[in-house]
Amino acid sequence: MKKTVARLIAAVAAAMSPAAYAESVLNALPLQLTAWVENYNPYNPVTRLPSVQDFMFEPLFVFNTMQNAEPSFRLATGFAYSDDLKSLTVSLRDDVTWSDGEPFDANDVKFTYDMLKEHRALDLRNVWDLIEDVTIVDDHTVRFDLQQPNSGIAYTIAQVYVVPEHIWGAVDDPATFTNAPNPVGSGPLTEIRRFTPQEYIQCRNPRYWDADTLAVDCIRFPQIADNNQALVAAAAGELDWFGSFLPDIDKTYVAHDPEHHRYWFPPGSLVFFAMNFEAANEGNRKAFNDLAFRRAFSMAMDREAMVDIAGYGYPTINEYPSGLGRAFDDWNNPKVDENYGAFSRYDAEAARAALATAGYADRNGDGFVETPDGDPIAFDILAPNGWTDWVNSVQIAVEGLRDVGIDAKVATPESPLWQERLVSGDFDVSINAHITGPDPFVQFDGILHSRNQGRTRYAPSRYRNPDLDQLLDGFYATADRAEQKKIMNDIQMAIAADLPYVAVYNNPRWYQYNTRRFEGFFDADNPGAVPTVHDGQPERLLQLLALTPRT
Amino acid sequence: MTFILLRLTFYLAAFLVAASINFALPRLMPGDPIDIMLSQAEGRISPEVRDRMAETFGFVDKPLYQEYLTYLASVLTWDLGISIKFYPLPVAEVLGRALPWTVFLAGTAALLAFILGSWLGINAAWRRGSRFDAFISPAALTLQSIPAVVVALILLFVFGVTLRWLPTGYAYAPALDPALDFTFVGSALYHAVMPLTTLILTSFGAYLITMRNNMVGQLGEDHVMMATAKGLGDRQVRYRYAARNALLPSITAFALTLGHVLGGSLVTEVVFNYPGLGNLLYLGVIARDYPLIQGQLLIMTLAILAANLIVDLIYVLLDPRLRRG
Repeated sequence: MKKTVARLIAAVAAAMSPAAYAESVLNALPLQLTAWVENYNPYNPVTRLPSVQDFMFEPLFVFNTMQNAEPSFRLATGFAYSDDLKSLTVSLRDDVTWSDGEPFDANDVKFTYDMLKEHRALDLRNVWDLIEDVTIVDDHTVRFDLQQPNSGIAYTIAQVYVVPEHIWGAVDDPATFTNAPNPVGSGPLTEIRRFTPQEYIQCRNPRYWDADTLAVDCIRFPQIADNNQALVAAAAGELDWFGSFLPDIDKTYVAHDPEHHRYWFPPGSLVFFAMNFEAANEGNRKAFNDLAFRRAFSMAMDREAMVDIAGYGYPTINEYPSGLGRAFDDWNNPKVDENYGAFSRYDAEAARAALATAGYADRNGDGFVETPDGDPIAFDILAPNGWTDWVNSVQIAVEGLRDVGIDAKVATPESPLWQERLVSGDFDVSINAHITGPDPFVQFDGILHSRNQGRTRYAPSRYRNPDLDQLLDGFYATADRAEQKKIMNDIQMAIAADLPYVAVYNNPRWYQYNTRRFEGFFDADNPGAVPTVHDGQPERLLQLLALTPRT
Repeated sequence: MTFILLRLTFYLAAFLVAASINFALPRLMPGDPIDIMLSQAEGRISPEVRDRMAETFGFVDKPLYQEYLTYLASVLTWDLGISIKFYPLPVAEVLGRALPWTVFLAGTAALLAFILGSWLGINAAWRRGSRFDAFISPAALTLQSIPAVVVALILLFVFGVTLRWLPTGYAYAPALDPALDFTFVGSALYHAVMPLTTLILTSFGAYLITMRNNMVGQLGEDHVMMATAKGLGDRQVRYRYAARNALLPSITAFALTLGHVLGGSLVTEVVFNYPGLGNLLYLGVIARDYPLIQGQLLIMTLAILAANLIVDLIYVLLDPRLRRG
């Protein structure tokens, strides 16, 4: 009894005494899942925690897509390509130490790359397909020798996270290493204050080289299972920095606290319809390989309806014939729209006319056209089950196609099966998306280069155009921006002329924030960098450093 | 004695059959765990990396019979393996964390639903035809027919989001650590209010109707008439004569339900983000986490078979007529 009373008094006293130093704790939701599991290995693509890359392990540099891909130097202070573009020399920052006090130097960088070479399962960016060797020039300088002249290698190197040799050198199997319970890192937040399956708190690195810029002391990551739970927590003002799909966001989120609950949806990944040029069904295959059919398909897409209805107005429409996207408007080739713009705008009449001119007609009276040879055309458009905005977009697409006489239906397999079918080629048409990079090369190369066809889910069409390949290969063979602009113009023209895929809109980057406890969040008036909190977006480091607690 | 031995043999055979089905079922679903894992990683993984990951997790293509034999051995030694979704936690640990919560939630709900339903049923039968009976019996049936997901979402929306009286998820406040003190227990109870209410509301109806019908049957019996004729009080006849006999089928139903408790009330747990076995099974199925699914199905099978066995034995105990037969 006495003990309980004593404890009670102590608890009350502790609650009443003022904190000597008030810590700022940010509540972030980078990932929705059902239970946190301790895994601080930045090279585990699936079960690592979402705060390991960028926050625990800092990149060498970060390319700021919103500021014209300008590099922001973090663990490195600079890089320089050789004249023949066959090597890149990176200078490392001098005064950086790991969170346990050991100095960070070129040995760690070389060790990390050698580790990726030895354990290819960890080489998530396939960097060893591009580099030949990594050489230590001196304690704070590393040189990467490349297989081909490549002016874009810095973008890949920026996404390889350096791990400490003095810890990882002793690890037998880095693929299964969880780096728990006391991870050693180089980033702004490395100390794990508390870890339970329901929440974990990651706090300031006591030896962070840029500690003066970091104003957030800790980030708290609550476990939230799905969009509904996220909505409930967000509406109650419990989250500060997150990015979930919230339907009717003005009513369901902003209305609860109009002054502080905010959001911004800058355009993100490119959403397009992919046709399988090697489809099993003969009629479908002939149709997909016919440019006239693809153009009619594209003109049957009511892009505005997809953005406004399926996407609640969040996405950004994409009517660029090459699929360039508004975010890359600086790269736009105006001649492309002059020549091919009409084929990327919704026009049901024109679509019907185009089909008729090309010889597609309904000869068997079922209400849908067949190929000029008479083969019936009928296909399912796949959308991953549960991705409601995509499913609704496909529904709108199907309505548009049936309206112009093409027999299409919606099919919604489970997400992993959908990916499997795209990779194996067991599909006719599917909706798909590709992330955007620091320049349009990433999406064009990822979707259309022949070396990628059928290898990843992003290039399912099996489209092979050697001329386009050549143009794409040449893009990073030069570092001259004017030369690159010329090549990109040609790339856009080549894609628009052949229309191998039908771009419809750019997904929104999911980003919501709450300014009640913190300020400095990037938005349309202050587009400092891509502000999304999700893993896989290194620019979130820049957003973190821009935040300050409100007093 | 022979009766018990026979029953035991039967249950052992049933267990082996169930275990084999548990092995086959998850593998009949299309898709495999590695592809699903990698699909979460936005698929920027080349086939070589994928193959190496498969090796790491032990997913090399073994002939099916070999996997089956390994599985049977693991069942007998209770080595449930390592979960894929919650790598590197062993399945036993993952299930062990969730088990107490499901037992608490579903067990308490089953017990309270049984008590509430039976008590209401007894009184509804005693006052059959009255306004109380005319209201409660159809109402219970209606509630029973409403899917648990609807009730759960309505409760969540009204009390959790709009009125903000009750918490919207978790088994306890995330900032607390499990401990046997007032704060933690209080938090756990506070968070259990809505899930418990959902489960009770959607399951007490069955007990009510069963009890009511059995009671009505009992009320026509001779021994009840004799008790009333003897001059025993209302409550005495109701509980000690009629209800006691009417309770038998209800108790067996309750015991069988207890077996299903470990299946977890999946929908309720998912809606309320409750870390129970139902939630785990749901996740395991989506992720094709074979070890986890197998472990969970094993527990469910054992629980149901054990409950059935216990019910068999209880029936012999409770009903003297069976002892002679």
